[in-house]
Amino acid sequence: MITYAHFPVLAVMGLFFGAFLVEIFGSRSKAVRNFIAIVTAAGAFGLIAALIKPVMLDGEVISYWMGNWEPVSGYAIGIGYEIDQLGLFFALLIVTTFLLSGFYSLRYMERDHHLGHYYTLYLMLSGSVLGLSLTGDVFNMFIMIEIMTFAAVALTAFRNESRGALEAAFKYLVVGSIGSSFTLAGIALLYAQCHTLNMAQLASILAAGLTPTTLFAFALMFTGLAVKSYIVPFHAPAADAYTTAPTSISMVFSGMVNKAGVYGMIRLVYVIFRAIDLPAMQMLLACFGTVTMFVGVTMALAQHDFKRLLAFHSISQIGYVITSAALGTGLGLTGALFHAMNHTLFKGLLFLCAGAVLYAAGTTDLDRLGGLSKRMPKTTVCFLIGAFSISGLPPFNGFVSKWIVYQSIYAKAVETHNFAYAFITIVAVIVSVMTLASFIKVTQAVFFGQLPASCAQVREVPLSMRIPMWIMSVLCVLTGVFYDFVNEHLLHPAVKAAFNATGYIDAMMGEGYAAAAGVANVEVAPVEFSYWNPILWLVLFVVMLVAVFFVILTGRNTRGRVLEETGAPADGKYATYFSGEKSMPSHVGGSDLFWGFKHDWKSYFTVMQGAHSGVVNDYALWAVFGGAVVMLFMFTFLR
Amino acid sequence: MIYTNYIASVLLIVLGLYTILYKKHIIKIVLGMGIVDYGINLLIVSIGFNDGGTAPIFTMSELISGAYFVDPVPQALTLTSIVIGACVDAMALSLVIKLYKQYKTTNADEIRRLRG
Amino acid sequence: MMTFLTLLFKILVFPGFLFVTVIGLLLAGIDRKVLARMQKRVGPPIVQPVYDFFKLMGKETIIPSAANKAAFLTAPVVGLVSLVVLMLFIPVFSYSAFSGSADMIVVLYLLTIPGVALIVGGSASGSPYAGIGISREMVAMMAYELPLVMVLLSVAKKAGGDSLCFSLQDIVAWQAANGCGAFHWSLIPAALAMLLVIPAEVGTQPFDVAEAETEICEGPLIEYSGAPLAVFKLNTALKMFVMTALFTALFFGGIDTGIVALNALILVAICVVLTILCMTTVHAVTARLKVEHLFKFYWTTVAGLAAASLVLVWIGL
Repeated sequence: MITYAHFPVLAVMGLFFGAFLVEIFGSRSKAVRNFIAIVTAAGAFGLIAALIKPVMLDGEVISYWMGNWEPVSGYAIGIGYEIDQLGLFFALLIVTTFLLSGFYSLRYMERDHHLGHYYTLYLMLSGSVLGLSLTGDVFNMFIMIEIMTFAAVALTAFRNESRGALEAAFKYLVVGSIGSSFTLAGIALLYAQCHTLNMAQLASILAAGLTPTTLFAFALMFTGLAVKSYIVPFHAPAADAYTTAPTSISMVFSGMVNKAGVYGMIRLVYVIFRAIDLPAMQMLLACFGTVTMFVGVTMALAQHDFKRLLAFHSISQIGYVITSAALGTGLGLTGALFHAMNHTLFKGLLFLCAGAVLYAAGTTDLDRLGGLSKRMPKTTVCFLIGAFSISGLPPFNGFVSKWIVYQSIYAKAVETHNFAYAFITIVAVIVSVMTLASFIKVTQAVFFGQLPASCAQVREVPLSMRIPMWIMSVLCVLTGVFYDFVNEHLLHPAVKAAFNATGYIDAMMGEGYAAAAGVANVEVAPVEFSYWNPILWLVLFVVMLVAVFFVILTGRNTRGRVLEETGAPADGKYATYFSGEKSMPSHVGGSDLFWGFKHDWKSYFTVMQGAHSGVVNDYALWAVFGGAVVMLFMFTFLR
Repeated sequence: MIYTNYIASVLLIVLGLYTILYKKHIIKIVLGMGIVDYGINLLIVSIGFNDGGTAPIFTMSELISGAYFVDPVPQALTLTSIVIGACVDAMALSLVIKLYKQYKTTNADEIRRLRG
Repeated sequence: MMTFLTLLFKILVFPGFLFVTVIGLLLAGIDRKVLARMQKRVGPPIVQPVYDFFKLMGKETIIPSAANKAAFLTAPVVGLVSLVVLMLFIPVFSYSAFSGSADMIVVLYLLTIPGVALIVGGSASGSPYAGIGISREMVAMMAYELPLVMVLLSVAKKAGGDSLCFSLQDIVAWQAANGCGAFHWSLIPAALAMLLVIPAEVGTQPFDVAEAETEICEGPLIEYSGAPLAVFKLNTALKMFVMTALFTALFFGGIDTGIVALNALILVAICVVLTILCMTTVHAVTARLKVEHLFKFYWTTVAGLAAASLVLVWIGL
């Protein structure tokens, strides 16, 4: 009998089986291939969405032992899948992302070849990331990380001829493999000490305290998962990979693959090792997060390529998530999870818009684009919604999540009288302003300004590509407006689950197991916040509409005809003002913007851009160096 | 505890990391990745060793209480890890072949179109 | 129904649209008159901005053919609405229209919206002069946000003591109990920093590099005419009042006579003094800073003052 306890496994296995079917049938018939891919993805989405009711709303924790190998005399001997609210939260983000990406790639990828392999890899990537978020076994998590790495590397290199695709894939593979190796070494050491691979049992065994071996294992696994989340200093291959992968896959990378790393880190630090209440651990994660935020956004300001800029912003926003999760408070984790969800939505939307621009104009070089809003008005609207969300302007979702993040960091600063957290708050706000600056730059360089001759034939993208963009835009607005609803039904259960190790352990190993091992819970009060008085904002909206009509309708409001041949306006008064000079294409875009800022920061940019040298050995050196720093720190402060 | 194995596995891992970090020929980097994997495999399989234990292969009737055997789980983990290592090497080498065709060089210092 | 009408009154009359518009235009007029007198001219009458506003409303709105019409026309209105909403969150001494637990962050973000509106409007107009102007405006915003954040955080810490206090109403109540913010030693550098941030936010000289009339023909506003231009000029005037009112709430908030109308008058008086002090005087005696000098000035001198205050407040002074 198939109960909802079987749904998670069915979803993951269904995706892998779908990948297998696509590989067999995909090269022969395009319709069969697309059908299998979309049906499998939609099926996984449906199965996971069906779990919202029992897990999120009713508060149950589903535990499923593969092959029915239940624990014997208190020892876990099988591979367990455990879905608690935290895992389901990330699983929902994951299924949404890959379903929308699948729809988008139907039209976006049609000009490429070997699409059978593309959909196989896409389904494998989706299945592995979904499995990662649902599993309750440490080695199973490692296997899912490996499958994810393979599929991601292959997809990065999918368009072989595109500039830098193969080298990005190679760097991704080398640094990713270092991360996976660290994770495996950590798992091996953990097994050596605890003789179990099940996360719930590990949590109860590790509650007794950390030995040097488990501490070393913690450091190794932490580094490995940090490589997968692409926080600084492990971020460089991610920037390359997001640029060269096909955009539907870049969206999947930024929306779900680095969330998998973040989920792994939260699970590791909050539930398995339960080290989040140690001030040293909080400071370590907060430092990583802050550096990530800052480096990500400053590098983004110097980029010339649309997708590479978005990649660095992805890295920066993950810094926000890590910093907020580092605080170890209910408010902090709420902010982290909410920002993770919002990041999936608005960054996915921004990547889809970048893909639309690439599909229509054939380039993502900021210096060669301009004025596309006249040709692609609907894409412009979606892009502006995404840009305002990521900059954190009200009433979009980015504003609410960033507000919770600032408040939680500063509250931590005040509680612990630690000036470092006040400094982190300031950095977070400055990073937010720089994010805004970066997106103003992209808006001016790509969508507004003057249309260059090379982009004169650009047309709006087809409807099947616009639908996922619209869906994500609407979700961005809705999660910003109805954040209380989101908090009550999705965030608060997930936050409670992260602190509720007892529930997690008992669900897998049986009642009372956690208490016997001495595991206690941390109580998390529900987070109350409101700036939102619905009547007030309704009145404001009405007032604003009235004002807009007033402005638009007063005075005669004229716009000239444009001549067909030259594109110049028929009446000179509608031409752009050039102080009497003859008008030439003089678009201010891309590298021309923010000259003063780049001038003042010249030495910083020289150092940072030199450090991102593109040589794979350098990136591997940073990864190993980051790992060394983590190990040294943990052995010094966490004993 | 078999000190020889543990020291050897740590040496292999360090040697592999050194190769990845300092060698410029991309095939050597792939070899380094492989050496790191083998080092970790050695570590895993050594963890399961119990001094004086037999091989963990029993039929149901032979398994009596007090039977002393080496831990089978790390052996399973090692097998999985070997397979994964093989796949990583295969993928890496196919990328190396295509990189050489496109860039006409195998020097990591020259394969850097994406930077900054 | 009554709540709806009170809300409407708060938004449209006091301390909303009408109050802020009248006082803002008054401040703009006083600024021009005093500047003229400082420069030994007669200067326009104090109600000149009102005349300018109505004159512009009657002119034709020409939308260039290279412009994006929707963004072009909506941008000034968005800026206006955000400034009006901002005033609703700033307490007039003891009276506050809306108050929540996280006013400060809302204020910080709402303060960025008028700048963003100017930028989006300029960007949408499709002119290269506007492109340069928005680039400078964004660099200026990045420049003054840092000291502004530090000032807000230091006042929040001072007023909150051991707990978090982001609410402006609570800050005013604390000042009523413990003396105005400006009379505490540790907050004086913050007050100075804020006085320097105000002209940059408003966009008057020497920090008006974004709208440099002589260099880039008013930058983002170059293609604007008629009603949208009137609203943008109104935004500048409103910003003068909003920023000085924010300064008053943060540093002079302890005064309370008990009568709302008298409080409003005292607020207006203080705002006039502040305008003359930090905007007109500085405008009269300085030349325009270049954008890279502006950035350096804010991130070294002004941020240094604000950081000094933050450190002093944190170590408990």
